[in-house]
Amino acid sequence: MNYLLQPYNYDLSDPASIPNLFLDHLYLVGITMLISLIIALPLGILVARRPRLYLLVITIADLLYTVPALALIAILITITGLSLATAIIPLVIYTQLVLIRNTATAINGIDPLLLEVGKAMGMNPRQVLLRVALPQALPTIIAGVRIATVTTIGIAALAYLAGQSGLGDLIFKNIATTDFDAVVAGGILIALLAVVADLLLLAVQTVLNRGRTSVSLA
Amino acid sequence: MAKISFHAITKQYPGTSRPAVDAVSFDVAEGSTCMLVGTSGSGKTTLLRMVNRLIEPTSGEIVIDGKNVLQENPIALRRRIGYVIQQVGLFPHLTIAENVRVTAEIAGGWTKQRLDKRVDELLELVGLPPAEYRKRFPRQLSGGQQQRVGLARALATDPAIMLMDEPFGALDAITRERMQNELLRIQRDVQKTILFVSHDIQEAFKLGEQIAVLDQGKLIQLGTPVDLLAQPANDFVRKLVGGDSILRQLEYLPVIDALEQDTVASARGGDVPTFLSDATLLQAMLKLLETNAPALAVQDKDTQQQLGFITLASINREITHAHGHKTERTETAI
Repeated sequence: MNYLLQPYNYDLSDPASIPNLFLDHLYLVGITMLISLIIALPLGILVARRPRLYLLVITIADLLYTVPALALIAILITITGLSLATAIIPLVIYTQLVLIRNTATAINGIDPLLLEVGKAMGMNPRQVLLRVALPQALPTIIAGVRIATVTTIGIAALAYLAGQSGLGDLIFKNIATTDFDAVVAGGILIALLAVVADLLLLAVQTVLNRGRTSVSLA
Repeated sequence: MAKISFHAITKQYPGTSRPAVDAVSFDVAEGSTCMLVGTSGSGKTTLLRMVNRLIEPTSGEIVIDGKNVLQENPIALRRRIGYVIQQVGLFPHLTIAENVRVTAEIAGGWTKQRLDKRVDELLELVGLPPAEYRKRFPRQLSGGQQQRVGLARALATDPAIMLMDEPFGALDAITRERMQNELLRIQRDVQKTILFVSHDIQEAFKLGEQIAVLDQGKLIQLGTPVDLLAQPANDFVRKLVGGDSILRQLEYLPVIDALEQDTVASARGGDVPTFLSDATLLQAMLKLLETNAPALAVQDKDTQQQLGFITLASINREITHAHGHKTERTETAI
């Protein structure tokens, strides 16, 4: 715990200080989730209610999911070098399965009866989308975002291998020097970030899910 | 206030041999309740859903207050028509108050205070104390309570027309009857023009001023419950309305159908109980049995003028007359 308690490890002018590594880590996770959603949301909407296309897309996402992240980074280094892309691409690939699947499930779960009720009371298409379709679909989509975010926070430690700074630095740099105090600090910080992000997204999910069954913690 | 007129309205789905609704024409008077009855596949729901253009007719016209609905913007049209369905369809993520106000919100033009007041008024009207129910969610309510909210939601913008598609069909018998009574009570206050699809003839008799009987997309008969009982257009109508049931005839046929002028009682002078002309045969029969009087004197309900007398024998004649009439028709049909 010593590492976490030393004031000089919080020196903002040092790019390798805890706050700066923390922000770098958040940046990696943020960019990954942004790109992931830009790909997965339209894809999920596209494959919803199209069982054959769904099967195809999910099978591909599943195959990609089984490739170990470490292996993917190793291969990508020969193509994209030590770059942000090498760090981000495996992370994005990892989120796709859960995001596409949850988005498609969410769209399939919209009750056509409620869409028609909205239409029958005189909602225009925009009102049907905002007042009926989205409120029904969002809780399930956010549940996927929650899992994807927590997973990404963990795997983002590997970004160090692609030369990108983040909380993974504490682990990988200090393993070599057997400074296990710093290694443990890195582990604790990543775990803490994951738990906090999980709880925040759980809160969002609970708010969105109001009126329906309660959301499970796990 | 609104009158609905159907002019040769037809809906033919592509690839079907006969139209779902076949050249149906009739009028629904302003502020009245018209029941659409028939077996499944008779086209009653299709007919209903063409009024707010959830289904577009193949040909014909539906005219509301002189305006052809097909020339209206469908969204504006739907906003001035209340719609209640069997499955209710409350939005699960909205509270009861939010579910009621949503129709008014999308229509626009309501201040927050007016909306809040309106929601409370409506919950009160459908028998759900606002303080207790306002903030609940649909899944916390029973089926009957949910349908009360469905009714309140449809009434929120005070539409002149209500379309109701078997709204009480999924409720248990006791709740259904209670809801029917509530609807009658509410309708006395609000005077909407109601088009009500039902597969329950008892319900149709109870709620409808007019009943439209549909079969295979065609309008077979339009009339009051008494019309359908006394002069069914064909065997189908007779079977549907239960013309065979003596009890139903007694319940709905009016005393004036069984009047006679010269009886022993009339000779004896006016010492018999009097009855008003809008009473039913059943009420008259019970009165006769209860008082053991030989006859009842029937007076016009408005002018108090004596119209004639009614006896157990005359009631019996009226019922057997209806029966004889039926047998004769059945034979012709064969």
